[in-house]
Amino acid sequence: MIAATAAAGPPRVAAIRSFIRGRRRRPWYDWYSAGFAVVLVVILLSDLLAQPLDRLAGPGGSAPAQAVAGAAVVIGAAAGLLLLAQAFGPLALSPADACWLLLTPLGRRDVLRRPAVTAAAIAAVAGAVLGVLALAMAGPFLRPSAGRHRVPWAWLVLATVGGAGFFVAAVLAGMLAQPWPRWRARMRVAGAVIAVAAVAGAVTAERWTGVSRVVTGRFAGLSTGTFGLIGAVAVTAACLGAVLVRRMLPDFPAGVVRTDSARAGRALMAAAFLNVPLLSWMAEDSHWRGRLLASRPWPLLAALGPGRSAACVLAWADWRRLARRPAVLTAVAVAALAPALAGAAFTGDARGWITAAVLLAGAMAAGTQGTAATRRDTNDPTLRRLLGVDPGAALAARAVLPALLAAAWLALALGLLLFTGELGGGLWPLLGLAAGPGVAAAALRVARTAPVNPAERGPDTPLGPTPPWLVSRAGSVLLGLAGAYPALRAARAGHVHGSTVAAQLAVSAVVLGGYLVLAVRAD
Amino acid sequence: MAGPVVAVRAVRAGYGSLVVLDGVDLTVAGSEIVAVTGVNGAGKSTLLSCLAGLHRPAAGTVAVLGAPPRDDAAFWRAVAMVADQPTWYPGLTVREHLELVRLTHQPVRGWCLRADELIDVFGLSARADAVPSDLSSGQRQRLSLAASLARPSELLLLDEPEQSLDPAFRQELAGLLAEYTGHGGTVVMATHDLDFAAAAGARRTLIADGRVATPGLTGPNP
Repeated sequence: MIAATAAAGPPRVAAIRSFIRGRRRRPWYDWYSAGFAVVLVVILLSDLLAQPLDRLAGPGGSAPAQAVAGAAVVIGAAAGLLLLAQAFGPLALSPADACWLLLTPLGRRDVLRRPAVTAAAIAAVAGAVLGVLALAMAGPFLRPSAGRHRVPWAWLVLATVGGAGFFVAAVLAGMLAQPWPRWRARMRVAGAVIAVAAVAGAVTAERWTGVSRVVTGRFAGLSTGTFGLIGAVAVTAACLGAVLVRRMLPDFPAGVVRTDSARAGRALMAAAFLNVPLLSWMAEDSHWRGRLLASRPWPLLAALGPGRSAACVLAWADWRRLARRPAVLTAVAVAALAPALAGAAFTGDARGWITAAVLLAGAMAAGTQGTAATRRDTNDPTLRRLLGVDPGAALAARAVLPALLAAAWLALALGLLLFTGELGGGLWPLLGLAAGPGVAAAALRVARTAPVNPAERGPDTPLGPTPPWLVSRAGSVLLGLAGAYPALRAARAGHVHGSTVAAQLAVSAVVLGGYLVLAVRAD
Repeated sequence: MAGPVVAVRAVRAGYGSLVVLDGVDLTVAGSEIVAVTGVNGAGKSTLLSCLAGLHRPAAGTVAVLGAPPRDDAAFWRAVAMVADQPTWYPGLTVREHLELVRLTHQPVRGWCLRADELIDVFGLSARADAVPSDLSSGQRQRLSLAASLARPSELLLLDEPEQSLDPAFRQELAGLLAEYTGHGGTVVMATHDLDFAAAAGARRTLIADGRVATPGLTGPNP
C-alpha cells in the first residue's frame, strides 16, 4: 500500500477519451451494423420523401388542403421529435461515461460538451430535413417569380438553414429546461399542444377549403427576403441557445445527467432492437415513479363464476391503469387524426398504402395501451399462478381491452377520413370496429414478446443471419396485417361494402381466436 | 478539518409526492465510519444521494466537508461514491477501468491504492484482463469498490457495499475501510449487514419512519 505522489497536471477530458478510445476493442461488425442501419434509414426516408420533394419542381396539381396537411405533418413531426428529444434528455452521456467521468474532478463543461454538440448536430440535420420538407409541402403554392415554376435554390438553402436553426434552438431550449422538472413538463405540454393544434387545424382545413385557401394564399406572398428573415431569426435563436447552454454546462447538475443518461442508454438499446415492451415499461416506470395513488377495491366479479372472475380480476389491472391515465387515452384519440393527414401530405391521396400503414400502426399502438399487465406477466406469471388462473382464460380476458381500444381507434380514424370527405359511404366506422379484434392479436403478441437476446442467431438470408428479435417483431406486424387485412385493403382502395365488414368480422374472429389458442399452447 | 465531515439538519426529501426522509439529523466526525441502517425503503440511499448533492432536499440543510454539496471539481475530488448500478465501458478490462479512475483524478495527492494493488487486494488477479461483463456479480461489486479506492478522497459514500460479496471478503472489506479511515478518510455507508458494520467498527444509525431513530450505536451486533 502506498501514499500516492503528485503526478502531472490536471486531467483533460480529451486525454481521458483518447485513453478509452485507444483501449476499447470494437469488432468490425459493430461499425458494419451501424453503417448498414444508416444506409437503410436513408434509403427508406428518400423513398418516402421522393414524392413530396418532387413538388419543389413546380405546380403538380396539388390541392390547397394538401399543402396544409403537409405543413401540419411537418409541424407535428417536429413537435414529436422534440418530445422524443426531451424523453432522452436531450443532454445525456453514454451510461459508462455517466458512471466514470461525471462524478470526478473533470471539468463538467468538457465532459458534457461532446453530447451537447452531438445533440445539436442531430437536431440540425433533422431540422434541415423538416425545413426542406415544409418548403416542399408549400411548393406548389409559392410564386418564385413570373414565369418560373421551380423553387429557387436560395429558398431551398434558406429553408434548410431556417429549419436547422429553429430545431437546434428548440433542442437547446430543452437542454436549458432539463434541470428543472417543472419547465421540462411545460415544454412537453407545449410540444403536445403545438402538435395537436397543427394536426387538428389541418384536418379542419381539409374539410373546409375556405380555411386552407387562406393559408396557402399566405404562402404565395412569401419572397426571398421573407425567407432570409426567417432564416436569420432561426440562426440567431440557435446561436443564443448555444451561448446560454455553454454558460450553463459547468454547473449542469450531475444528478440530472446521471438519471437521464441511464434512461437514454436503456431506451436507445431498446429502440435499437425494436424492444417495444421494454420501451413501454420505461415510459410506465417514468410516469408512475414518485406518485401516490388512492388504492381502491377490486370490482366484485363473483357473478361470472370462480374461474372467469379471477381471470377478469387479473385483466382489470389494465382497465384501472388506463382509467388513471386519461392523458394516454386523449393522446390515442388525437392520434386518430394521423391517417387523414399522412396520406394526403405525402402522396396527395388520402387513400393508398401510406394511409393503410398508418391505420395499422395506429391501431396496434392503441391496442398495446391495454396490454401493460400482459407484458408484466410474460416475464413474471406469479400473480396469475397465485390466483390459480388458467393461462387461456387469463389471456382471453386480457384480449378484451386491446380489442376495444384498437376497434375504437380504427372506427374514429376511419370516421375522420369519412368526415374529411376522403372516403365515401357510411360503413367505415363499422369496418373499424370489426377490425379491432384482429389487430388486438398483434398488440398481444407485441406485449408477450420475450426479452431480447442480441446474441441469438436467426434464419440465414443473403445479407447474413437475421436476428430472432427482428423476426419476432416482423411477425407481430404481419399478424396485425392479417387480422385487419379486409379493412386495410378497403381503406387503400377507398371502397367498402357490407360484405367487406362481414369478411373483416370473420377474419378478426379467426386471427384473434387462432392466436389465443396457439399462444396458450406455446405456454 | 475541525468541524464534522457531514452535518445533516432536519432534512426532508422524497420523490414527487412521496416523502422518504422527514426531519433527518446526522453528524459524522472525521475518520469515522457510519453505517446507516433501516428496512427496505427507509431512505438510506436517498440520504446518501443528498450527501452527494445528487438529490436536492425539499427542506433542511446538508453540509459536507463544511459546506453544502457543490457538485463541482473540488467536491468530487474530495468525495467518492460507489454507484448502486455501475455501468462499464464495453471492451475495457478490469485493470483499464481502475487505471481510468486514477487518470481522471490527476494529480493524485493523498492516500489511495494503485491498480495492481487493488487487483490483488480485491481478489481480481485472475480476472484483471477480463471485461467486467464477463465477471460474476460479486466480482463486479469488488471492482466497483476497488474503483472507489483507486483515487484519494476524504469522504467515501457506499450504498450497500456488502451486496453480492461472500462473507470472507466482507470481513476483508471491513478491514480496508478501517485502513481508509486510518489515513484520515471518513465513510458513510448504507447497509443491511450489521455484522459487517460491526467488523468495520462503524457507528450504526437506524432510519425509521423517515427519521433517525437511533443516532449512534457502536460495537458488535447484539
